[in-house]
Amino acid sequence: MAANFFTISIIILSLFLVTLSAESESELVADLLTLQSESESGVIHLDDPTVSKFLTNPKTPRPYSLIIFFDATHFHDKPELRLREIRREFAIVASSFIANHNSSNTKLFFCDIEFSESQPSFQLFGVNSIPHIRLVGPATESLEDDSGEMDQAGLSRFAESMAEFIESRTKLPVGPIHRPPILSKIQLGVIALVLLVWSPLVVKKIVAGETLLHDPRSWVSGAVFVYFFSVSGAMHNIIREMPMFVGDREDPNKLVLFYQGSDMQLGAEGFTVGFLYTIVGLLLAFVTHALVYVKGATAKRTLMLFALLLSFWAVKKVIFLDNWKTGYRIHGFWPSAWN
Amino acid sequence: MATMPILPPMPVLDLVKSFKLKTKQQELLIRVSILCLVYILAFITRLFSVLRYESMIHEFDPYFNYRTTLYLTQNGFYDFWNWFDYESWYPLGRIVGGTLYPGLMVTAALIYRILHFLRFAVHIREVCVLTAPFFASNTTLVAYFFGKEIWDTGAGLVAAILIAVCPGYISRSVAGSYDNEGVAIFALLFTFYLFVKAVNTGSLAWSLASAFGYFYMVSAWGGYVFIINLIPLYVLVLLITGRYSMRLYVAYNCMYVLGMLLAMQIRFVGFQHVQSGEHMAAMGVFFLLQVFYFLDWVKHMLSDTKLFQAFLRITVTCAVAVGAIALGLGMLSGYISPWTGRFYSLLDPTYAKDHIPIIASVSEHQPTAWSSFMFDFHILLFLFPAGLYFCFKRLSDATIFIVMYGLTSMYFAGVMVRLILVATPAVCLISAIAVSATVKNLTVLLRSKNKGVQTGSTKGSSSSKAASKALLDQSQPFQKNGAIALLFGAFYLLSKYATHCTWVTSEAYSSPSIVLAARGAHGSRVIFDDYREAYFWLRQNTPPDAKVMSWWDYGYQITAMGNRTVIVDNNTWNNTHIATVGRAMSSYEDEAIEIMRSLDVDYVLVVFGGVTGYSSDDINKFLWMVRIGGGVFPVIKEPDYLVNGEYRVDKGAAPKMLNCLMYKLCYYRFGEMLTEYGKPPGYDRARGVEIGNKDIKLEHLEEAFTTSNWIVRIYKVKPPNNRW
Repeated sequence: MAANFFTISIIILSLFLVTLSAESESELVADLLTLQSESESGVIHLDDPTVSKFLTNPKTPRPYSLIIFFDATHFHDKPELRLREIRREFAIVASSFIANHNSSNTKLFFCDIEFSESQPSFQLFGVNSIPHIRLVGPATESLEDDSGEMDQAGLSRFAESMAEFIESRTKLPVGPIHRPPILSKIQLGVIALVLLVWSPLVVKKIVAGETLLHDPRSWVSGAVFVYFFSVSGAMHNIIREMPMFVGDREDPNKLVLFYQGSDMQLGAEGFTVGFLYTIVGLLLAFVTHALVYVKGATAKRTLMLFALLLSFWAVKKVIFLDNWKTGYRIHGFWPSAWN
Repeated sequence: MATMPILPPMPVLDLVKSFKLKTKQQELLIRVSILCLVYILAFITRLFSVLRYESMIHEFDPYFNYRTTLYLTQNGFYDFWNWFDYESWYPLGRIVGGTLYPGLMVTAALIYRILHFLRFAVHIREVCVLTAPFFASNTTLVAYFFGKEIWDTGAGLVAAILIAVCPGYISRSVAGSYDNEGVAIFALLFTFYLFVKAVNTGSLAWSLASAFGYFYMVSAWGGYVFIINLIPLYVLVLLITGRYSMRLYVAYNCMYVLGMLLAMQIRFVGFQHVQSGEHMAAMGVFFLLQVFYFLDWVKHMLSDTKLFQAFLRITVTCAVAVGAIALGLGMLSGYISPWTGRFYSLLDPTYAKDHIPIIASVSEHQPTAWSSFMFDFHILLFLFPAGLYFCFKRLSDATIFIVMYGLTSMYFAGVMVRLILVATPAVCLISAIAVSATVKNLTVLLRSKNKGVQTGSTKGSSSSKAASKALLDQSQPFQKNGAIALLFGAFYLLSKYATHCTWVTSEAYSSPSIVLAARGAHGSRVIFDDYREAYFWLRQNTPPDAKVMSWWDYGYQITAMGNRTVIVDNNTWNNTHIATVGRAMSSYEDEAIEIMRSLDVDYVLVVFGGVTGYSSDDINKFLWMVRIGGGVFPVIKEPDYLVNGEYRVDKGAAPKMLNCLMYKLCYYRFGEMLTEYGKPPGYDRARGVEIGNKDIKLEHLEEAFTTSNWIVRIYKVKPPNNRW
């Protein structure tokens, strides 16, 4: 009930205001449209004067909503903030939105604002942490309190969740997201050309039965790779998007490579352990099938001893790491009379 | 002593001599006794939970299986097959016979019948509790025969021993875990064994047997999809690598055609087997094999190679085109259904996270970290690559199969934690090859001294380091010592494996989760048996037609143990119904009573851990109720229950949170209670805070029963007031 009354009153109010300030408002919209067409991706770059021109000065309700991405160039090289990535996704949503509305949209504009050149605006919005995306609706009076901040939880498939956010807040459909193809047309052309040149050779090889498919060694290495890939938890890293390592909280110069706790792992950690897993088995295979052909008893013995010690060390290390990570103390169950 | 008659020595010696076995007989005796011991070991290592608690069914889903088995033994197979269950999903009901895999229940009922025929008057519950360990024992036998088929008897024995105690398998087959996987892993391995045997022999009998094995697997578990995709893939690889043979043709065709017809008899599968995208690979390979056979025949008939080449080209093009067109038409007309999300998420693991949160949110569908592999496989992980290498060195149809099984299942295990279970038999078999081949060659070296050094080449590709060393340099001084040291190393590792497995089974995989155990202040074991107390109360003190509303986790248990009708249960087939319950739980009491009246609810059951510190209670699950409820009814909004995105139950909690039905039912009269010394009354031990609303008044509900540790609380819905 209350919400209904609220929207009705807004509509009446805006109709009333539109007649009053139609001229200046249409000018503002025209300015925004020009700025939008000037930018490559359709994201308007704001600074302090334009913020006051488009947001603080015009009376509410404004005839448009602005969705603003707060950027900071000097943080672009911090991988954990993922600013570049989010900025790219933001631009994708912007260009998709514009394309889906045939550039005839005057209700919603995508903007970004940079910290070092417009600090006062950041204070105006009360933004003190990034990444930060905020929607300023037509009725927003106080930029700090009324405008809606987008939840940063769903960072995967960011463009889609941003589109949902926009649709739920502004009731404007974003439409399908147009992602740029992974390979550009030129790259595709080059690849096709290379394939064309190679194809006669490949056909000849297949006919002669000399491809990689006919070589057991390639199968072995493929098999070992699949094994390594699985046991190192690479799938876990891909699905959870785990970083290879994280910085130490207490000492920023140090890196944390191993995570304590059995429910999670870091990328480098998984690959290290996966490597340790694999090396023992491969050493056994090497010793039984390759070492035989080494000439000379001493060399053979040294290699053998070396392989043994290495395997011993690897097993010990993995057991130690596992006990450390999971915190389990594994013990046997002996008859109580033995104690 | 003195009076003992002195027998003439000669007849005794003769007697002993006549009993003395030949070497082959000795070997057989040892092998059979090892197998018997392994069989027993696999059974008894799964009995920790029975010894520690008592013979009971674990967890949630097994209670449904138990209930249906009980129904099957009491009412017979036809009633079971046509069973419409009024006691769950009130008022909708559930067609039980058509929505389950009946293999497990039928197996247990059969064992029960056999035992009764033999005059063992056991209760069906004991049969259900011990079904999984019994089938684990049978799996060890299959592993032995499988190992024998792909390598030799030694590898078979080692595989049986490894799989008997491997934690990856034990996790789903301890006594009391009466779930589909318990019999399904046996069926899976058995089908694979029979199929490999069929390919090796080309015998129709073996392929027939593998079709029936497949039928059993389909009747037992949805994981049969793995078989019906792996076997075609294997056939395809054999075709590509030029290993096509008549044996393969016979084995696959018989297995596929018969297996398909049999699988379609299971109502839950039905026509999916020929219509859904998951099964299309098998059909495609089936037609491909016919094309291969046809080409072979034409080649045989045509003597001109050039003519044959042209014919080959035309046929292959036509076959591929026809196949593609058929597939496209099937997809377009909707006759062939596309892949399900679960299947798709295995191939593209990031898919589930983005598109199907309900799959991604389940804890056993999480991707696997390296420590989980270590926990479930231990040293098998080190041996696996070596085993792979050995297999590649002695490629045959059988080793190709085990390598493919190992690698595909290993990949899937990396995607989902629960699929470690499927990978376990393959990992055990491949590791067994590594262990067996190494140990065998070491012992050959140890014994060869007396007989003179063997030529080594007889070992072929599986020649070990020691044997090969012996071949090249026979006079090495410490080769024997080295072999002894290596043997000791191997046995040390294997004994570590046994220790690890026993420890893991005892500590991690043997808790029933229906009875909770905690360590008391003095290190003694404290048992909380509140669930069963509550369900027993329901059974004894409520009218037989009472409807109980609770969150879906407890549905199966309430119907099985409390014998009362529930609104929703663990078979989450109707999302709207679950959302209605979620909405009732997260509304104010006067709104909730409307929903409850419309669903004829008589009792409401909540699980509360504030007194005992049990953390997986309804308050901690509450946000899921809000989310699922809000997914269908937009009046429920998650932010209403949060304060600055934070979930709290203390004074700072959201007002809606403090007054919703779930909060009231959990914390009713909790404000008067002193839970911990030195803390104020109403201190919630599960969340470590003092609750925010201590003065809770209930208007339409009244407290009916609270268990001794407050874990389960049951409320009665009051009848409407009289009008006057």
